[in-house]
Amino acid sequence: MIFSAAPASPLTRMQLAWLAALVLLAQAPLAFYVPLWMAVAGAGLVAARLALPADRLPSPQLRRWLLPLLALTVAIGIRVKFGYFLARDPCVAFLYVLVGIKYLETRNARDGGLLVCLALFLLLTQFFYAQTIGAALATLPALLVLGGTLAALREAPTNAEWKGAVVGTARMIAQGIPIAALLFVLFPRLAGPLWGLPADALARTGLSDRMAPGSIGALSLSDDVAFRVDFDGGLAPPPAQRYWRGPVLSRFDGEAWTLPQRARGGLLLRTDSRTIAYTVTLEPHGRLWLFALEHPASLPRRPADAPATSSGDDTLALLTSDHQLLTRAPLLQAVRYTERSTLASTFPSVGETERRDNLQLPRDKNPRAITFARDLRGQVESDRAFIAAVLARFHDEPFVYTLTPSPLGRDPVDGFLFDTRRGFCEHYAGAFVVLLRAAGIPARVVTGYQGGEINPDGGYLIVRQSDAHAWAEALLDGRWQRFDPTAAVAPSRVERGLGAALPLGEQVPYMAQLDMTWVKRLRLHWDAINYQWQRGVVGFNLDRQRDLLRDLNLDNARPWQIVALAAGAILLWGIFVLAMARMRLLHADPVLALWSRACSRLARGGLRRSPEEGPLAYAQRAARRWPQWKGLFERIGESYAVLRYGPQTADRADLIAALRRSVQTLPTARALRTR
Amino acid sequence: MWRREPHDAGPIVLRHRRIYILPTRRGLLLIATLAIMLVTSMNYALSLGFALTFLLSGLVASALLHTYRNLAGIAVSPVAAGEAFAGTELGFSLSFANVGATRRGIVVTTAAERSVSVDLGATATHIVQVSTEALRRGRQSLGRVTISSDFPLGLWRGWAYVHFPLSGVVYPTPEAPSPPPPPGREGSDARRSARAAEAELAGLRDYQRGDALNRIAWKAVARGAGWYSKQFEGAGGRGPLELEWTDLAGLDTEARLSRLTAWVLAAEREARAFALRVPGVELALGQGAVHRRSALTALALFQEREERAS
Repeated sequence: MIFSAAPASPLTRMQLAWLAALVLLAQAPLAFYVPLWMAVAGAGLVAARLALPADRLPSPQLRRWLLPLLALTVAIGIRVKFGYFLARDPCVAFLYVLVGIKYLETRNARDGGLLVCLALFLLLTQFFYAQTIGAALATLPALLVLGGTLAALREAPTNAEWKGAVVGTARMIAQGIPIAALLFVLFPRLAGPLWGLPADALARTGLSDRMAPGSIGALSLSDDVAFRVDFDGGLAPPPAQRYWRGPVLSRFDGEAWTLPQRARGGLLLRTDSRTIAYTVTLEPHGRLWLFALEHPASLPRRPADAPATSSGDDTLALLTSDHQLLTRAPLLQAVRYTERSTLASTFPSVGETERRDNLQLPRDKNPRAITFARDLRGQVESDRAFIAAVLARFHDEPFVYTLTPSPLGRDPVDGFLFDTRRGFCEHYAGAFVVLLRAAGIPARVVTGYQGGEINPDGGYLIVRQSDAHAWAEALLDGRWQRFDPTAAVAPSRVERGLGAALPLGEQVPYMAQLDMTWVKRLRLHWDAINYQWQRGVVGFNLDRQRDLLRDLNLDNARPWQIVALAAGAILLWGIFVLAMARMRLLHADPVLALWSRACSRLARGGLRRSPEEGPLAYAQRAARRWPQWKGLFERIGESYAVLRYGPQTADRADLIAALRRSVQTLPTARALRTR
Repeated sequence: MWRREPHDAGPIVLRHRRIYILPTRRGLLLIATLAIMLVTSMNYALSLGFALTFLLSGLVASALLHTYRNLAGIAVSPVAAGEAFAGTELGFSLSFANVGATRRGIVVTTAAERSVSVDLGATATHIVQVSTEALRRGRQSLGRVTISSDFPLGLWRGWAYVHFPLSGVVYPTPEAPSPPPPPGREGSDARRSARAAEAELAGLRDYQRGDALNRIAWKAVARGAGWYSKQFEGAGGRGPLELEWTDLAGLDTEARLSRLTAWVLAAEREARAFALRVPGVELALGQGAVHRRSALTALALFQEREERAS
């Protein structure tokens, strides 16, 4: 009895068209994130059913066999393509096609309801890949046809009128926005995931804990934002001093550099020289490290506008002995932190073990480089002189700084140093450290970002993936000293960024190019808006929620109090929306508005009109009850009856004005009650 | 709401005390989907996932209000009850007064699961015909009526019960085929053979109140010539019938009533006057719709009161 029985009749063409619109609009934002053949297949299935007349489609019996088979084929295809299945991306891709298959076999309104739900979930999955303003806007078309689709499933539409349905849906969504905002702000956010995330959920563009020739070069092709920085006082250091320190790689297997196995606690660099304070908004990269200018003078904290949490510990990361800032859990949400740094190129080493660890070198790899370094060390008197000689060699020999290095063989450092001489920053940094270690100087590779671009529109610094960089550090006289061998080859890389350093004709990411065209200016403008979006909406996490509750003086409220508050707000919202609907009705019909005003006045005076009572009868009843206003009541009743039920006459406006005057002279409810 | 006895009198205005709302099957499915979307957003910390989920929740909440608003404020009142033969449909009419905006897809369902769907125009009153199965002869009440709607999105179904003391009369099922009615007082065998022949039109006389509708000379009315009733002159054997309960000894009560009903109908078809005598009711000779109705009602309610009392 409670649930209306789902009609089992086959869907009409109009109903199918609404469903197709919803499904296609839900698929559209994802089309760029699933493999091409699946994007085409998923949308093609929908289009096929819509385009083909019903008698050209396979019969329902055949479809019952065909469709599971099709789903299985797609599943196998996905398994082959991705190499695994039970992870986020393959599942999203499968769902994408599955919605198309489900559409193909949708027979009745009940199937249609299920399809609507699948499409809505599919709509959510695009946020795995992007949470930009564009991604948010991309969901709107699907949302706007949702109401029409549900209404069409409720009752088959008889005409192709869709604008009214879309406007109606927009109105209902708009009415629901207060609820949505309330839930968005008050719904408790989690500090971490509910269950283990599949591995591919963590893989995002950014630096990794492994550096092989080509890995940073690949990153450099991306215009994605790594992080944005607001400097206190708006004073950014000059580009050559903007070394954003990230993973420090000290283990070398002959080809690739990786992190050391153990991390030790380190010391903050506190010197008398000027420290610089800034706030970083870091995009989630699924890893542990935070970035800071070399060298950190404080631990990263939550911004001052978000004071301490209840535990009192507001530091976000620990400092290791090699000056990496490591968080406790992988960064899955954007994070904002304040940090202070001392702009220095050296910092003290913590001890002897560091020295030993940073001399490690595989014996059987890169023999030519090792021999070369030992010979060269024999010719100079000091370590510093050796380093200068190596840098001079990079500068003087025909080394080329390029994003498209030639392939390297089994001994990549040898191949790079003596054969190809074409490389990107990771080639130079890696080869440099190998030479130093071979010469007995402890050294390691530091990766991170170098440079960044000041957005004139907002005054903050944007650091992109294309600013990814690798440099080196050598231990001299008990202090680690920064050396950037790339600067020896292409000084402009450090001074002016990638666009200036690469030879003409190489493909440079658009935003790394130097000339300030209007397109680029527009994109910077857009980035400024995006930054606010990131901070306010996408970055609304546990911390921001706590801040907001504190601003609302709700931080000490018990959960039930907040729930009660929300329930009260929802109730008020319901009353408000209903009142608005009534207002709209009365606004559209002034006669009805005046009459209902008169009725409610008399009702409050103690004489309620019964629903079946006509205006004349009611007026007479009121006249009998209050004879002193007999004339007035009769006038109101009569003119209402004429206006509502009588013929349309030319003096209608006058009649309405007269009715209005009469209603305005009605005695107050109190006067009615006391007589 | 579970009371068996009708308890609503006069116009009933559907208000929040009377309107119940629960999600439909599709609504539940959608709410479950939203829950899954919420958990996904939580696990992957998708701020926009939260935003989308809550925006849809707002839409669902607003659909609830629209479903409520579509029902609230309708004034329902009983208008009339019909009569029918047992086994056919018994009609009732209810009036739906709408003081607000247009109401869409209002479904009126009787206890017998017969439903009609109507749209109510803005500030208009509609008479809605509903029906229920005429079960057995006697008085049959309309019973509880459900007024429901899942407008606009089919995610919520709101409903309200009204239970008016409205009852119609169910006539006994006419026996079919039935033996011919007994001959009239002046009837004879020879004349009876012509019984089936149609009565012949003898002329027109002035219309009098109570004349059967099918006897009115509509053509004359349409011409504007005034109101006349057709006078038929039966062929032989068309004398008045005497329908006697006592003539049918040997049959049980219901079979007797069934046959008498068939005879009343036959008499009416043949335009013969008839008298009816059953225990407790005596109808003098008469003819026409009103007479027929009193006869059928007498048969319908035969011994009904006694049964009730016992």
